[in-house]
Amino acid sequence: MSFATRTWTRMSIPERLLAIFVPLAVVLAIATVLAIVLLGPPLLDFLGANLPLVRFLVAVTAILLMTVPTAFVIIYMELKVIARMNLRIGPNRVGPWGAAMSLIHGFKVLSKEDFAPTGADLPVFTLAPVVTYMASVMTLLVIPFAPGLFGQDLNIGVLFFFAMGGMSVLGLLMAGWSSFNKYSLLGGLRSAAQIISYEIPLTLSAVGVVILAGTMSMNHIVLSQSGSALDWFIFKQPLAALIFFIAATAEANRTPFDMTEADSELVAGFATEYSGMRFGFFFFAEYVNVFIVSALITTLFFGGWTAPFNWPWPYNLNGLDLSNGTLWIGIAFLVFVLGTDVLALLVRFFGGRSWNMPSAMVLGFIFTLVAVVGVVGLAGFIAFDWIQGLFWFMVKTYAFVFVFVWMRGTLPRVRVDQLMSFAWKWLLPASLLNLFVTAAAVVLLSQ
Amino acid sequence: MPTRPNGAQPGKPEKPTRPVTPGSPAAKDPAERPAAAGVRGGAHARTGRAAAAAAAAAAGVRGGDHARTGRAAATPATPAAPNPFGSTPHGHDPEAVRARLAAMPRPSADDPRILLDRTSDADLFEPIPPYPTRTEREAEFYSLGDGEMFLNVGPQHPATHGVLRLVLKLSGEQVMDVDPVIGYLHRGVEKICENSDYYHVIDQVDPLEYVSSLFQEWSAVLTFEKLMDVQVPRRAEYIRVLTAELLRVASHTLYMGFLALDLGGITPILYSFIERDEIVEMLAAITGARMLFNYYRIGGVNGDLNHEFMSRLGDWMSRAAKQTEANAALLNENEIFVRRARGVGIMDRHMALKMGVTGGNLRACGIAFDVRRAHPYSVYPELDFNVPTRQEGDSLARYLIRVDEVRESIRIIDQCLHNMPDGPIIAKLPRLLRPRPGRAWGAVEGPRGLMGVYAISDGSDQPFRFRIHDPSFMNLETVPHLLPGNLLADTMAIVSSLDPIMGGIDK
Repeated sequence: MSFATRTWTRMSIPERLLAIFVPLAVVLAIATVLAIVLLGPPLLDFLGANLPLVRFLVAVTAILLMTVPTAFVIIYMELKVIARMNLRIGPNRVGPWGAAMSLIHGFKVLSKEDFAPTGADLPVFTLAPVVTYMASVMTLLVIPFAPGLFGQDLNIGVLFFFAMGGMSVLGLLMAGWSSFNKYSLLGGLRSAAQIISYEIPLTLSAVGVVILAGTMSMNHIVLSQSGSALDWFIFKQPLAALIFFIAATAEANRTPFDMTEADSELVAGFATEYSGMRFGFFFFAEYVNVFIVSALITTLFFGGWTAPFNWPWPYNLNGLDLSNGTLWIGIAFLVFVLGTDVLALLVRFFGGRSWNMPSAMVLGFIFTLVAVVGVVGLAGFIAFDWIQGLFWFMVKTYAFVFVFVWMRGTLPRVRVDQLMSFAWKWLLPASLLNLFVTAAAVVLLSQ
Repeated sequence: MPTRPNGAQPGKPEKPTRPVTPGSPAAKDPAERPAAAGVRGGAHARTGRAAAAAAAAAAGVRGGDHARTGRAAATPATPAAPNPFGSTPHGHDPEAVRARLAAMPRPSADDPRILLDRTSDADLFEPIPPYPTRTEREAEFYSLGDGEMFLNVGPQHPATHGVLRLVLKLSGEQVMDVDPVIGYLHRGVEKICENSDYYHVIDQVDPLEYVSSLFQEWSAVLTFEKLMDVQVPRRAEYIRVLTAELLRVASHTLYMGFLALDLGGITPILYSFIERDEIVEMLAAITGARMLFNYYRIGGVNGDLNHEFMSRLGDWMSRAAKQTEANAALLNENEIFVRRARGVGIMDRHMALKMGVTGGNLRACGIAFDVRRAHPYSVYPELDFNVPTRQEGDSLARYLIRVDEVRESIRIIDQCLHNMPDGPIIAKLPRLLRPRPGRAWGAVEGPRGLMGVYAISDGSDQPFRFRIHDPSFMNLETVPHLLPGNLLADTMAIVSSLDPIMGGIDK
């Protein structure tokens, strides 16, 4: 028995973990320092010379990372809201009010077997979730979240959005075809038929907005609605907004148009044969789609990140000097220590006998944290227009997400033929009419 | 032997549709089928069916049944050869079995019939029966037209209630033909009942209609009471009516929720379960069980109404009418639901009568047949209630009939509570029942229609023959007539609106 074996067997589990991870951390740290020293200057030179590329890479990474928590939040929201509508409690075991439920769902999906059925067309089967997910993520790239906070300001933003949205059907079709299952095939074909039909009224209803704004850039569409809530396009294009909402519901495969995964007919539709993380990608893509569609409705018809009324504070602290970092850290430290202690003492002496000092300290810390976060957030809200913009954007978007969840809890599913006839016989003529009236009005008023 | 045209691919007429194990009946002509019918059939192939029956007769066993002849052959009618494997429970002579196995063509990897051809293994997943088609209807069903495909729905599918299997022949989304396959829950309950005494029959028939088990008990108990001329006390009759109507409300409420669920609405089912749970809890207060009550007895019921039942019932009755209206309004006024249910699965009233459809499904086609009024039993003649009918015969009418019946049931419950007499709850009967030889038929109106039991007594303490008429079975028989021409999505709207309970169908 060698020295290494003997030592290893005598170590406890934490010691073993340390023995593995401490050398690893040291090696990684040395490697990082070396990489920075050796590769840093040339890389920085290159990036400094190509700032748009840096911006693009950062934006793509941020948006890719943003999708996962967004999906988590919407999944949790759906679980909880539908539970309340069903007179249930919903998830309440993991985390406060079950808030970590969707996180656990994510881990569960990751840990499941990655299964592919016999007879599946494996390359297509594997690519399908990726295509669907990436199509969703790409559409997020052109959505303006706040002034200055957007992935890319394309001058064909709306067009890009519809192009990428149309790509998601490709993934569903691939999944349906490659699964070697008739339910999947029917689901894939249904989704193709449905999304192709609803793309047309969706796009045509957005064209009215494009005519009014005179641009296809999302940022400029938002800017042309700035002012108060009365300047939003919903009041100039009510019919278009209605058509857009209905068609967007179909586009996101949500109830009552969730033909593709109608669980009482096609067991799980295109996703029948998917499990593990491949299914997880479909699952995430569905909820990211809900967010995207809500964000688009907000952007096109509800003023995007603009506030619903004229903002009363005339000043903007965008130029606030935060360069004196040490001072601010000191102030924050002082506030935390004093606040925690004062609140803990208050709780200890006025809160009854059950509070001992440690639990009073914890409670005081939590109170202080909440107060500090609230104050800082409010200050940031007043001071920085991008925080304001993000706030209003998220409020409006999640209001629409809530409407989608609400519809899912309330409505049954329409039939395939009813769905198609509704699209071609009602939505398409209505959107054409809307387009015609809008164009005529613009021409007449500009004379 | 009829061929299966869907297997006849152009250019390859001789190729079997699916890989056939050599020796299976589909492989060769019928003449050599018994010789190659697998190990279990081998005993008959060896001795011949007549010889086996003769051996059984010699051993003094009632013959004819497959299992019994097998067991009879185990008797020393054929003295066993020296047996290296010890005794064989199934009576096969191991030497003969081994010899027959050696003579059988063995499957080999080179056999072209068992190789899975990657280009055509789509056939492998077709729901083709593993035997040659037996009837013209089967041959017609299993031949695919141009652009048609089979879709196997169930027995494990989110929307088939229980273990119903529907083999659909689809053209696009349109259903061209359907073959319902049942029997996944078959346990031979009627035979079990013939081997148990009259008291035990009640808990044997209990789990058949597991959503509304009291009605199945009631039909059996009613038949036995006719067989034995038992006079049931009036209080017992009223308690039976009260509990049964409560359960009818629970069953119909559940039906509405499941219909909505099959049409994609996820909320009504939870409201339904709330109502059902209250009813089931109050029944549990007097029966001790939530689902399989085992409450009715020959000559009465098993326990009197108690305080908990009455307080729960009063609590529920104070808002039952309002609550059921509110739950129904969630669907009745929903445009999507009404459009999905209206005009699909229209049942012709002549066909319905011919197929023996009863219950709400029959009343939805305009025929006011209700066993409670047509062949009155218990105290129903004393009670005031209507028999709601509708003329359309579609899924929506079947749904609305249930909504109306819930209202009528609540009226009946109200009258039962007002008229409830005092007195004993069960007639005095001996421990061991030996009714005189005779036969009786008793039927009650269950939530799904006429639930009947036919029993013959031979004077012993067990029914000589015991047969159950289950309404779900008759209702399900209409599915092949209702589905063709509709869309795949309507399949669930139609089957669900017929309200089949597979426990009763498979028996």
